Amino acid sequence: MATLQLLDIAKHFGKGVWGVKKLDLEVEDKEFLVLLGPSGCGKTTAMRMIAGLEDVTRGTILLSGRDITDVAPRNRNVSMVFQNYAVWPHMTVYDNIAFSLKLKKMPGAEIKQRVQETADMVKIGGLLGRHPGQLSGGQQQRVAVARALAVKPELFLFDEPLSNLDAKLRVIMRTEMKDIHQKTEATSIFVTHDQSEAMSMADRVVIMKDGGIIQIGTPDDVYSRSTDMFVAGFIGTPPTNFFNVVCSYNDQKIELKHSDFVLPLDSANFAELKEYNGKNLVLGVRAEDIKVVPESKAVFKEKILVIEPQGSHQIVAFNLEGAMYKISVPAEIEMRVGGDIGLDFNMDRLSFFNKETENRILLKSEVSN
Amino acid sequence: MDRVLKRNLNRSARYTALYIIVIGIAFIIIFPIFFLVSFSFMSDYETFSEWPKPIVPSFRADFMIDKDAEGYHLYIYNKSEKEFVNFGPLSFTNNENDLASLQKFIRKYSNCAISTDKLREYLKGVDNQGEATFQLKKKILDNYVLFFDITRDAPAAFIRSILVACLTIVISLTIGGMAGYAFARYMFKGKNLLKLSVLFVRMFPAVSLAVPMVIILANMGLADQPLGLSLVYSVGQISLNIWVTASVFMSIPVSYEEASEIFGTSKIGAFWHITLPLALPGLAACAMYSFIGSWNEVISAVVLTQFNPTFPVVVYKSLVGSQGQINLITAGSLVQALPAIIFTLIIRKYILQMWGGVRV
Ligand SMILES: Nc1ncnc2c1ncn2[C@@H]1O[C@H](COP(=O)(O)OP(=O)(O)OP(=O)(O)O)[C@@H](O)[C@H]1O
Ligand SMILES: [Mg+2]
Repeated sequence: MATLQLLDIAKHFGKGVWGVKKLDLEVEDKEFLVLLGPSGCGKTTAMRMIAGLEDVTRGTILLSGRDITDVAPRNRNVSMVFQNYAVWPHMTVYDNIAFSLKLKKMPGAEIKQRVQETADMVKIGGLLGRHPGQLSGGQQQRVAVARALAVKPELFLFDEPLSNLDAKLRVIMRTEMKDIHQKTEATSIFVTHDQSEAMSMADRVVIMKDGGIIQIGTPDDVYSRSTDMFVAGFIGTPPTNFFNVVCSYNDQKIELKHSDFVLPLDSANFAELKEYNGKNLVLGVRAEDIKVVPESKAVFKEKILVIEPQGSHQIVAFNLEGAMYKISVPAEIEMRVGGDIGLDFNMDRLSFFNKETENRILLKSEVSN
Repeated sequence: MDRVLKRNLNRSARYTALYIIVIGIAFIIIFPIFFLVSFSFMSDYETFSEWPKPIVPSFRADFMIDKDAEGYHLYIYNKSEKEFVNFGPLSFTNNENDLASLQKFIRKYSNCAISTDKLREYLKGVDNQGEATFQLKKKILDNYVLFFDITRDAPAAFIRSILVACLTIVISLTIGGMAGYAFARYMFKGKNLLKLSVLFVRMFPAVSLAVPMVIILANMGLADQPLGLSLVYSVGQISLNIWVTASVFMSIPVSYEEASEIFGTSKIGAFWHITLPLALPGLAACAMYSFIGSWNEVISAVVLTQFNPTFPVVVYKSLVGSQGQINLITAGSLVQALPAIIFTLIIRKYILQMWGGVRV
């Protein structure tokens, strides 16, 4: 029902400061889209333009085909949840939620019912008589969500709504918000700079950097097939390990030469690398794709620097050419700091990046996926 | 054990000293006000002729009349000297004129009312027994009644003053508040300079501006009128209100207004529904300052008014031109202070307003 199209929108704040340089995006009906990117990349600016709080410098915004680029915020049929909640402290929870309904001149009985309904949905049904000052941060957050839900808008905007909550509550709220989304099926855009939040909630993730889009895709897309080294390094904890290697191709054999190891590759699966013969490449490997193996079978051996137990698994760090590498190892494997371990790569999940452009080198096997 | 005891003693000593100092300071502040109130209920005789001065006003006065060859003599009981002393005319007879003027004298200087018939009765008693003593009830609010009675301008000036104060609030708060909002919410060139420059008007003493003001007001046709005076007061108050309201508005997050815009109001609607109620305590404080500032102002008012003085001017003139009737002046001063106190008490509710236990 509700789709959002951003056609080449941009925001210039003057004096050469661009909040958003170029944004082309289509949000599908009922989709939960997450905008993810480092601080200052223009996520908030993008949201504010969609909400109408900020004029666009260029471009068009279509909501369900209707041009809302120059429509006042109140007429856009868009709800927003702010990072600092922005629930009004001089009104009770009830009045906060009922505010927009009263302005719409909805009959009193209906307002009452709608408020109770939405409050129950976010589990603050018992707090309606209180003022926001008497609520915890998490409860205020719920009020803000209820206020946004009550309008039944076409589009939900969430601007880092969970960033002010403590780590545990954040994870709980994450699940609840996803649950709410599944119940309401409202088209939503969710901003965060917490990549694990993005991965766990999103239907699709939009990775932004410097006011532009780097990659759009499902969580699996951006995690396993990062479009460039920025995304690969940004997504995942710990992030992707990068090895500077030289590619060589002779005698029908592809080999990646690193100062500490040589990795022979199957020339059929990695045919695209042939043209990089003699050139520098970056090999990207996820933490869980480097396996601990008996030293006899190892591609390379390293001395353990730090062990960080995580319960279900452990993060093991080692040094290579002055850079820190981290791998994820099952908890059962016993290790000790300073000991040597043999390491091997999971050959199905290697990524290659062009050293100059930092872009991903696409393999045929991936394209067909 | 010993150490604990010593520490406790030490602490008690410190607290005792602290309280003595605090009480001392409070005493210094309260003492003049106490005397102001106390004197406003005293008669002229009490304030003037008794030494040491009484601390609290009495509710009665004792009189004595005796008689010798020259005629009757009136005495009043002086509480400090603990004896009857001469009061009023040296001697008087029992004819109607003498008694009438005696009655007036008693009323004016001791705030006691007595009829001439009653006086004649006492005189008869003197004739029979050589002397008569009697006690009269003091009219405790007499000074206040008298103040409004003697200073003909007072009631009208009182109303005029309230009018001026209210006009000052309205003018200075609307203009100052709007400017404060602009300073708080919008970026524009020269903002800081402009904000600083509004304080310039407050750097000149009121008198130095008063004369040019008279001329300007005369040209506007507003000289010697409440509106004109309130305009003059507003000039100073506006700059103060700009600074206060700007910081009040700054403390209210913009996102409150933005949320309101998203949930159904226009920009102006957001101000009315959200920002204004939240700013109310600050605005109330501004209103209070404006009221008190305008209400108590004398210097400009003396220069700028002629036939339509404000109340402080009347009190001030009664102070300068009175025959040293300190009890009347204290009464006038208290009447002058009262509206400001009442207004403060009313507005206090808004200044202390809290939402759900959280101050905004
Ligand atoms: N009102 C403004 N005036 C000038 N520059 C601004 C304004 N608002 C944002 N910017 C700039 O625009 C860029 C994008 O800001 P934005 O707030 O959209 O970042 P963000 O992605 O939301 O960051 P964060 O994750 O820290 O919230 C930043 O460089 C910021 O400095
Ligand atoms: Mg932001």
